[in-house]
Amino acid sequence: MEIGAAKLIGAGLAMIGAIGAGLGIGVLAGGAVQGIARNPDAAGQIQTNMILGIAFAEAVAIYCLVVALLLIFAV
Amino acid sequence: MDALVKLGINVGFLLLQIFAFALLLAILGAWVYKPLLQMIEERRKKLAQAMEDARVAAEARANAEQEAQKILAEARAKADEIIREARERAEEQRRALLEQAQAEAEKLKREALAEVEEERNRVLAELREQIAALAVAAAQKIVGASLDEQRQHELLEEFFAGVKGKQVVVLDELEATTADQVEVISAVPLTDEEKALITEQLKAKVGDAPIVFKVDPSILGGLVIRVGDQIVDASVARQMALLRQKLA
Amino acid sequence: MDTTTPHDTPQQQGSGNSGCLTMLALFVALVVGAIWLWPKKLPVHLPATKLSDEPLFNLFPNLPPDLGAVYLTNTLVATVLGYAVVLIVAFVVGRSIRRALATGDYVIGGFSGAVVMLLEGIYNMTEATAGKWARTIFPYFATIMMLVLVVNWMELLPGVETIGLLTPVTEEVHKAYEAEPWVGGIYKLTSDPIPVEHGEGGAEGGEAGAAAHTEGLYDFRPLVRVSSTDLNFTLALALVSVVMTQVIGFRAQGLHYLEKFFNFRALFAKPGMGILDFVVGLLELISEFSKILSFSFRLFGNIFAGSVLLFVMGALAPFILPAFYGLELFVGLIQAFVFGMLTMVFMAQATHSHADH
Repeated sequence: MEIGAAKLIGAGLAMIGAIGAGLGIGVLAGGAVQGIARNPDAAGQIQTNMILGIAFAEAVAIYCLVVALLLIFAV
Repeated sequence: MDALVKLGINVGFLLLQIFAFALLLAILGAWVYKPLLQMIEERRKKLAQAMEDARVAAEARANAEQEAQKILAEARAKADEIIREARERAEEQRRALLEQAQAEAEKLKREALAEVEEERNRVLAELREQIAALAVAAAQKIVGASLDEQRQHELLEEFFAGVKGKQVVVLDELEATTADQVEVISAVPLTDEEKALITEQLKAKVGDAPIVFKVDPSILGGLVIRVGDQIVDASVARQMALLRQKLA
Repeated sequence: MDTTTPHDTPQQQGSGNSGCLTMLALFVALVVGAIWLWPKKLPVHLPATKLSDEPLFNLFPNLPPDLGAVYLTNTLVATVLGYAVVLIVAFVVGRSIRRALATGDYVIGGFSGAVVMLLEGIYNMTEATAGKWARTIFPYFATIMMLVLVVNWMELLPGVETIGLLTPVTEEVHKAYEAEPWVGGIYKLTSDPIPVEHGEGGAEGGEAGAAAHTEGLYDFRPLVRVSSTDLNFTLALALVSVVMTQVIGFRAQGLHYLEKFFNFRALFAKPGMGILDFVVGLLELISEFSKILSFSFRLFGNIFAGSVLLFVMGALAPFILPAFYGLELFVGLIQAFVFGMLTMVFMAQATHSHADH
């Protein structure tokens, strides 16, 4: 197998990790919307925490992206 | 490090970007953020001041309203009192006027009645002579004999005043009693002598009660004496009625 | 395009219908125009050919070569433009605010008013989260948000990443384009990217092979490429954000700030679970570094993917491209907001003592 092809396949496989981040963000946003629906007064606080949580969940996907980019461009 | 370079990271550009950002932060801080924060601060202060002012104004207005309410209530109470007093005074005056007028009217009526009574009595007193003369004349015609003067007078007195030989005939029927007032009713006005006689003899029967003499021509003759609820009817009208009953 | 004219007359009828008719005419024109343009698919340049900064030309050719060449890159051009826009906006807004302060009339209208409203919203949010540290943290939030917003939206300007320099194909180039003269000295690309096959043998053979294949082919370097697609820009912002978070943490708590990372107190206070707390502190330390990574690559990844998406959709379905423009407008705003917001939240957390949690 060519090295280039292996790199690209590896990059693609690395991005599978983004599934977890996507699920996590979905659960977070869903929970936040439910929370806001139950207590609209706390919307600001919930939104802040939601964005914070999404940032942490997204970080995982970003590590995947970094690995993929490194595989494509840096290896 | 090689991987970083291959990802496009260059220390020189990185430092340049950091420096540029720091510069931007400083410039924006001076140009925008400082006046903006000042403005926000001042606006908040102004807003707080406005809120305070509004609160004070609202309080003052509430106080003024309360004061006005109090003044109004006082004024209303005073007005009510004045009206009540005026009405009372008017009522009193009205009552006084009415009483006066009634008294006046009563007095007038009494006077008028007394006058009428007096007039009638006078007329009846005048008539008494004529009636007596007529009766004597008629009796002379019927009997054909003239009674002596003395006898005539006695008969007439007996007829008119129920007095027979200085004696009030009807008083025999009267039981001794006491009353507030004694009424003596005759068909024609009595003479003063007769009145004195009746008064004297009545006193012996009923004591010191005031005696009122009244004239009622419908009894035709004799006397009716009313003492309290006791009536002694010695009138000619009654005697004639009794006679009619007997004849019938 | 001609279809708009017959619809011009009914516009005069009633004001109620004219809006509808105009929309209809525009829609018809759009569809007809798209169909008319359909066969002439524009040649598409994919920006994702390489991540490294693309040197446009040497800024100081006369410097001695020992110091190394200082190149102007296309992302640096975009950065300069972005900074210029932000500075102009800041100047205009700052002048309006000063005037408002001088007159005492705090109602600012127009463009400045909109910017001031945005900044006030940011300040209120900061104050709600950070409390008394809002005045310190607010400038980072606002500056990062404004700069990133301007830079992100630059992606949507026509000409960005599509106007550039043509250079002869060299060894490092993997894709090249055909080009033909257009107006004046300007050329236009006439082909999709063509892979360049360099010789796989020795240097001599490779060069000969390359020469044979690169006849009439050019390497294309965009004059302006969005700064967010340059890791130097995003990494610089991430470094500033994370480093200043530590600085604010130290300013707020002094040396106690270090207890967040090296929790010796817990280690001695409760020997059993203390170890766990200590390890959690070490993890916090690692997470500070991972913050740099996630900050820089989040912005980079989103905008990079956005520009690729725009180019791909421009090639596949040009007439629904506006929808993707709208999406990218939204993504650019969200990323700018998230970058600033996260900076603010992290800084606000750094001001709280660890024991408060």
